[in-house]
Amino acid sequence: MGQLYDKLTEDVRFIEGLKACLNCGTCTAICPAAEFYNYQPRMIVDILQTHDDEKIEVLLKSETIWYCGECMSCITRCPRGNAPGLLITALRSLSQELGYFVESEKGRQQLAIKRTVGEWILKYGYCLFPANILPELHPEQGPIWQWEHANIEAVMERLGANYQQNGPGILRKIPQEALDEIRKIFDETGGTSRYEKIEEFSRKKANELGINLDESLSCDYIRHIYTVNDKDHTRSS
Amino acid sequence: MKIEGKRRIWKEYQKEIAGDHYFYVRSCVRQNFFPGSEKTFLRILKEVLDKDIYENPSHTTCSGIGYHSDIVRFETSMTMVARQFALMTEAGYKNLATSCITSFGLYTEILETWHHFPEVEECVRKHLKNATGREFEVPDNLSHASDIIYKFRNEIASKGKLRLINHITGKPLRAVEHIGCHYSRMFPIKGIGGAEYPYVLTGMIEEWGGEVIDYPERRHCCGFGFRQYLIQANRGYSIACSKKKFDSMRPYKPDFILTNCPGCPMFLDRWQYAISEMEGITYGENGFGIPVLTYEELAGMILGYNPWDLGLQVHQVPVEPLLDKIGIPYDQSSKFLGKDGKFIGKPASPAFLKFF
Amino acid sequence: MSREVIVIGGGIAGITAAFSLSESGSKVTLLEKEKHIGGHVKKWDRLFPSFRPANEVLDWAEKSMSSDIEVLKEATITSIKREGDKFTVYIQNDEPVTGKAIVLATGYELFDARKKEEYGYGIYDNVLTSADLEAIFREGKKIVTADGKTPRRVGIVHCVGSRDEKVGNLYCSKVCCVTGVKQAIEIKQALPGTDVYGFYMDLRMFDRHFEELYFEAQQKWGINFIRGRVSECAENEDRSILIKTEDTLTGKPLKMTVDVLILLVGFIPSVETNKLASMLGLQTGDDGFLLSMDEHTQDNNTAIPGVFLTGALKGPTSIINSIADARSTALQVQVYLKSIG
Repeated sequence: MGQLYDKLTEDVRFIEGLKACLNCGTCTAICPAAEFYNYQPRMIVDILQTHDDEKIEVLLKSETIWYCGECMSCITRCPRGNAPGLLITALRSLSQELGYFVESEKGRQQLAIKRTVGEWILKYGYCLFPANILPELHPEQGPIWQWEHANIEAVMERLGANYQQNGPGILRKIPQEALDEIRKIFDETGGTSRYEKIEEFSRKKANELGINLDESLSCDYIRHIYTVNDKDHTRSS
Repeated sequence: MKIEGKRRIWKEYQKEIAGDHYFYVRSCVRQNFFPGSEKTFLRILKEVLDKDIYENPSHTTCSGIGYHSDIVRFETSMTMVARQFALMTEAGYKNLATSCITSFGLYTEILETWHHFPEVEECVRKHLKNATGREFEVPDNLSHASDIIYKFRNEIASKGKLRLINHITGKPLRAVEHIGCHYSRMFPIKGIGGAEYPYVLTGMIEEWGGEVIDYPERRHCCGFGFRQYLIQANRGYSIACSKKKFDSMRPYKPDFILTNCPGCPMFLDRWQYAISEMEGITYGENGFGIPVLTYEELAGMILGYNPWDLGLQVHQVPVEPLLDKIGIPYDQSSKFLGKDGKFIGKPASPAFLKFF
Repeated sequence: MSREVIVIGGGIAGITAAFSLSESGSKVTLLEKEKHIGGHVKKWDRLFPSFRPANEVLDWAEKSMSSDIEVLKEATITSIKREGDKFTVYIQNDEPVTGKAIVLATGYELFDARKKEEYGYGIYDNVLTSADLEAIFREGKKIVTADGKTPRRVGIVHCVGSRDEKVGNLYCSKVCCVTGVKQAIEIKQALPGTDVYGFYMDLRMFDRHFEELYFEAQQKWGINFIRGRVSECAENEDRSILIKTEDTLTGKPLKMTVDVLILLVGFIPSVETNKLASMLGLQTGDDGFLLSMDEHTQDNNTAIPGVFLTGALKGPTSIINSIADARSTALQVQVYLKSIG
């Protein structure tokens, strides 16, 4: 067993998710990502059970591990009790720890998620916050959201929220002490370190690619990873 | 189709749902996009069912969206969830009610992980203590808000003013039920009806007079996919999943779609809009879309609540055609008004999808 | 009544054991819980690999039974007692039976396909089991869809209820693969214009002429074999079945509509087997089937002197193997009877 394989075994989701695969294809049959992308969850399990570090390194740097939508349909059906969906979470975790995620177009997107959802968890105590769901970045949210977003306080008030106020309620202002506790939890459990790694490795990659990356959400690198869809992800290359 | 075959399975997958004294934890997506639903849930539990349901303002996200986009480590998520448990324990509650399905799935996954790997639970207890000084007990009962509405669907029906019947034709309304992936896929026994033929929403629809239709892509994910939606470059996956479902359900002519996950109604609602813009296709009758509802919105409709209190006005696919079918009165002129009738502008209409 | 050997179970293994013991000089009582002997073989139409009628084998077995063998039908066993070398088997509403040796031949049951919920057996009208199909052949009926039409496409799903942690059966049921190949050919014989697809994980063509049957299925009959386990079935508007699988050899997910779907259901240990095992204190393996003394060297003996096992109660097996096993058991019983004098 190589180092990468051993590192994976430190993740309890990996232990839970890898039993032994007989390549029956039940998981791939039902996987939405397999329908649309050049992806088969079966291949993930098949590669992992070889314990081959070289293959695992390729996987960690590949587009492949980022196609999964974590719907867990594979887990419901596998006759051997494998969980490709959980193995994907373990692979994605390790890929970010080691900085390999920046080697793939889809992997590089993690920075954008960290700077949005990731930061909002710490800043607001929610994964999403209406003011930050900009209609121009989410045209699919439609004219209804455009109107809501422009009138968020009034809409929230109408619908009975306690928008950014003290006390219980929808989108309440979560007390600073609670946010401080969350921050400490992140520090304690390696969550902060994970965020820092995502930033650091992305910064290196941005330099390499010659794309400007600064703290703002509108810088070139963030725009780039948010929108670029260059490689043909739906056919084998 | 032999419905008795499904009934057999529904009987086998029953689970314990707490009857009262709930510690409520909110959903990020619902607070942002369906605040009316959470408001209605608490209203129903308190005013109609006379239950004790408590919310600690200090509770936060479970980090589910961050966890499933893989930016938040499992250890971090587990400890954030442990903090929620600690708040519950501190408030003297033992029954946890989650508003979000991803939360429900995450809490269930965490409890199962701790069950199989007790050393992981020990580790999390240490982390929580070190970070916050808090200690916790695991909940006696973990239910999703839809489980609770399911449990009390008879009471809601009896207190209800309306049934899911087309009041012009007299026929039961045809409903598509859509269950969130994280409800029962990982642990089928934790879902009412299991993973293949879930019953939590079917039970509500049947009790309230409607008819549930089965269609080939019933079990297909709506396509949230977490990172597959959050990043624009990946949204093809998300919209394609929903489109698969719409194309499959269209021949069955559903009157509405009922969901129990926060994300699903948002996607099934918005992707109909996006598809109409991209391809000029609409899935409902006469250029409308198929209205997508949360179970609280549906319960609220049955109970005769003002549709604009329920939050139906913030759907991109208008719900009015459904309200008309049921015979629910509504005041169109007040649809987009703010509190106390304040004028706060109106949304523009989409190019293709009919809108009011 | 005192007979030397009591055989419990009147299926092919039990019948073969009974007449083999009788031929070799023992007095035999055969107990059967149903109204007729013959077990599962009664339900089959033609047997693999040669397509010979099941009735041929059944008739041969029943004719081999000498009139000396006492056959008690509809016999429900309530308890078994032992005093020294003598066993007494108590039967509901009947006289007890005694003997110096007991042969258990209580066989198996078929996996209840309804447990594999995602395949929709018992819900979707065009999903059948292999046993349902055998009954159709046996009764000379036509293979038709629920609407009475000739199916243009039939799918056959391998490993239903076997090799499946989700239903709690990790073992392979051994004979379903060759049954699937046999039935595929029989469907083509009945409906030459119909396309037949077999969805498998492995093709277990383990015995003589089985592999050749697979070759014939492909080459002569044009049956399509797709290596992928069916993940899910849904019903289309016209009640045809939409299946989702992966063609693992090309690595592509596959969605296909079939008019009729056949589920190859596997073996599960029978209820009677478990009941009798606890009455006698016999051990079951982790797969739920009974354990013999030694799988290589003493596969018909148990840890209890005088108690013998034969047939499918030890695990999935074919009729050919059951007959051979039953004869082997008879020999072991005779050796035992000689040893106790």
